[in-house]
Amino acid sequence: MLALSAPVAMGYIPLGMVFGFLFVQAGASWWLAPLSSLIVYAGAAQYMMIPMIAAGLSAGTIALATLIVNLRHVFYGLSLLDALPRRKLLRWYIIFALTDETYSVLTTIAPATSDKQMTLIAALNHTWWVLGTLIGALIGARAHVALAGLDFVLAALFAVLTVEQWRTKKNAAPLWVALAAYALAYALAAPHALVIAIVLSLAAGTLWQAKPAAAGEARR
Amino acid sequence: MIASGYLIGVIAAMGIITFALRALPFVAAQWLQKHPLVHKLGQFLPLAIMTLLLVHSATGAAREHASGPWPELLAVALVVLLQWRRRNALLSIVAGTCVYVLLRNLNLF
Repeated sequence: MLALSAPVAMGYIPLGMVFGFLFVQAGASWWLAPLSSLIVYAGAAQYMMIPMIAAGLSAGTIALATLIVNLRHVFYGLSLLDALPRRKLLRWYIIFALTDETYSVLTTIAPATSDKQMTLIAALNHTWWVLGTLIGALIGARAHVALAGLDFVLAALFAVLTVEQWRTKKNAAPLWVALAAYALAYALAAPHALVIAIVLSLAAGTLWQAKPAAAGEARR
Repeated sequence: MIASGYLIGVIAAMGIITFALRALPFVAAQWLQKHPLVHKLGQFLPLAIMTLLLVHSATGAAREHASGPWPELLAVALVVLLQWRRRNALLSIVAGTCVYVLLRNLNLF
């Protein structure tokens, strides 16, 4: 199981460190960094929260942004419905810990894996993320670095997730629609560009007719 | 310093939202699977929203300096290319961020 979790550790420990570091540099107490990695456990949303807490935005606004960033998780669970453990505690823990990486490991191995092994993988991945965050936070509490542009790590993470979504969908229409929607929304009202563009994309997605390749999917 | 009480509230709110989103398909599977619209949006929305978040965060970074969006465009292109070819998320993110930090701090643009 360690072999399956090791590649995730290679990503989660350094990325957790960057999160912990930036979180503390933004002006938060160091112990809150591992706490948020333990409780929230969602990389993109956690990176996103850093500039938002630095700007002192309300918890409601940040919750709404979390909803948008993590909306994709709603569609993850559907393919794992029958694969996850039946035992309540293990099942709910894995659902709680279903990040992009844990999801992709579990969907690859699910049919031939015992409940205990699945839980162990989820828990190991969770541990790497919290551990990385703790190390980064402790470094961040001692060092002061004034490098412009470190927060680009969030944009880079979104770029990686975009490429991976693109790869699985094999259809770039949503990408072009989103680019057009953002350009339009930005021209209309730049400060609210994201929200307007999401509404436009949602409308486009509702009207969208899937190509024959995707139609087979819908027939299941 | 950012107030810890405020941050604990933010962390709790984010934790609840994230857990609710992950749990939704497991508690409402029948409802979700019955609606063709959910399938359609499941095919369409994740890529659209990721693209929007990417463009939004890159645009936000570009507005922090006066030299045009070139560092963002270059760094995003590098991340996309690396991720497409190598499928190594850490490599893509670290290389892209390092190049971006260099571009911004060397004032090449």
